[in-house]
Amino acid sequence: MTTGRSLFARQLVTFVVPLLVLLGVALIPYIWILLASFKTRGELISPDPKWVFNPTSINYTDIIYKGFDGYLLNSVIIGFSSTALCVFVGTLAAYGFSRFKIPAGNHLFFYILATRLGPPVAYALPMYLIFRDLGLVNTYAGVILAHTTFNLVLVVWMMRSFFDDVPREIEEAAYLDGCGHFRVFLQITLPMTYPGLAAVSIFVLIFSWNELLFALILTGGDTRPLTVMIPSLVLHTGTQWGQVASASIIQSIPVLIFIFFIQKKLVQGLTFGAVKG
Amino acid sequence: MVHTGSTRTFMWFCMGPVLLLLIIVAVAPVTLALIDSFRDLSLAMPSKRGQFVALDNYRDLLGSDGNFYRSLAHTVIFMMIAVPIELALGLLIALWINREFTGRRLVLTILMIPTMIAPVVVGMIWRFFLMPSFGVLTVYMNRLGLFEETSVFSGAITAFGALIIIDIWEWTPFIMLIMLAGLSALPQAPIEAATIDGASRWQIFRHIQLPMLFPLIVVAVMLRGIDASKVFDTIYVLTGGGPGNATEVISTFAYRTNFIRWDLGYGAAVCLVLAFASLVVAALFFKTVSGKPKPVEETS
Repeated sequence: MTTGRSLFARQLVTFVVPLLVLLGVALIPYIWILLASFKTRGELISPDPKWVFNPTSINYTDIIYKGFDGYLLNSVIIGFSSTALCVFVGTLAAYGFSRFKIPAGNHLFFYILATRLGPPVAYALPMYLIFRDLGLVNTYAGVILAHTTFNLVLVVWMMRSFFDDVPREIEEAAYLDGCGHFRVFLQITLPMTYPGLAAVSIFVLIFSWNELLFALILTGGDTRPLTVMIPSLVLHTGTQWGQVASASIIQSIPVLIFIFFIQKKLVQGLTFGAVKG
Repeated sequence: MVHTGSTRTFMWFCMGPVLLLLIIVAVAPVTLALIDSFRDLSLAMPSKRGQFVALDNYRDLLGSDGNFYRSLAHTVIFMMIAVPIELALGLLIALWINREFTGRRLVLTILMIPTMIAPVVVGMIWRFFLMPSFGVLTVYMNRLGLFEETSVFSGAITAFGALIIIDIWEWTPFIMLIMLAGLSALPQAPIEAATIDGASRWQIFRHIQLPMLFPLIVVAVMLRGIDASKVFDTIYVLTGGGPGNATEVISTFAYRTNFIRWDLGYGAAVCLVLAFASLVVAALFFKTVSGKPKPVEETS
């Protein structure tokens, strides 16, 4: 079996080893911050980096004293509310775009896209100005509306393609049976897109969960989410790296879990449906 | 379909919420910003209390603001270096990893981690990695005799270079994923035929795979280019635009004008110029994506 063994050896050199290197490059910075979250202050700023050490949970208890649970709750509130609103508004619009000839529909579709392609900061100031007048700055409502707008294009584009995939014959049969538009939409078409809808919702949730700029500008005091809290741990008087590390790890764990589940739809979601996987 | 009256009602039911939302969060704010951009309005300077100055803000910005043009140049340089490298690496990795093996799904998920975790966390990870004296990468580079006297983020060139390398780390997996989707959707017949005819891997790539992937490469480069032009989070966390303004890009410039200097009238002009530029880019993207048939059809 010399050929078999040499084939295996070749595989090892041309595939397995480079693959491990690649995984290392992608993962080591993240693993390093994971390790850091279990280190003491002395170990963290030691000029002799340790890969093996005695773990401590002190950083995780420390950030709770800094009100971490409050920021976490804010991230959850903002994330789930904006996802619910965005999916509701976006799914209806997507169905409209998919089934009807909307007057000036292309212009509207284009405008929804433009809100996402421009630099967020260009839209953040106008939003800040009007939210200040409406008293929505430093409230949940302001940042929820901002995240909803920002993620709308994703929902509209992806859900539209899912609705386009549902055969018209099924709907037409239901119309002949005397169903109205609402019943056809809610009881026949929408349920057929549930798997896609779930993936879209997860995407919107992740993007809201990870968003910094709007949160930075539109939240304050009691409404700040995790992404605003983490950079605020960097102080001129010295950064508590253990706390930065543990907060970053907790912030990113839900994302890691979710990407495993939506792996098949990852391409579509990250390209607003322009590429199918 | 059924009678038109109920169809129209249902259509409004579908489109009403999105129209309302866009009026509240897009049309009204942009109108307000447009008005403010014609005024001298600052929350930090008492002399600027909203006097009407016509097009002065735009004239100052487009005519003589060196910082604006410098940040614009930095943004373009950042895009022009980072995106081609990400494309080349992403394509290379996709070509190489495009095969069946055990644990493929897990491997791809792990490779996507840099792209999917929050950019602010990416910034923090690398800031910690590169801290002077105790950052692990600094320590190892010091042992090789690099950056012993200075830190990475204290020099203009090294700070800019580090931001580009971090962007490449963060976004190469995104390109890889798109290319992988494209490669696995390509018809296998021409490739098999070429293999039988004795074509080399390079010939197959150059004459079969690359031309077929081209529409997808255009989409990937546009999306990545657009996103690279908006880079904010990592720079906000890592350099804040410094040292001096060596890493100031348009996003951080607009942020500083509005929310550090609170020069809202001038800042509104900055934002509207950027929004207008992005409309042009969006129009190009829209034409590319919807102009011709979808580059890749559903496979999995």
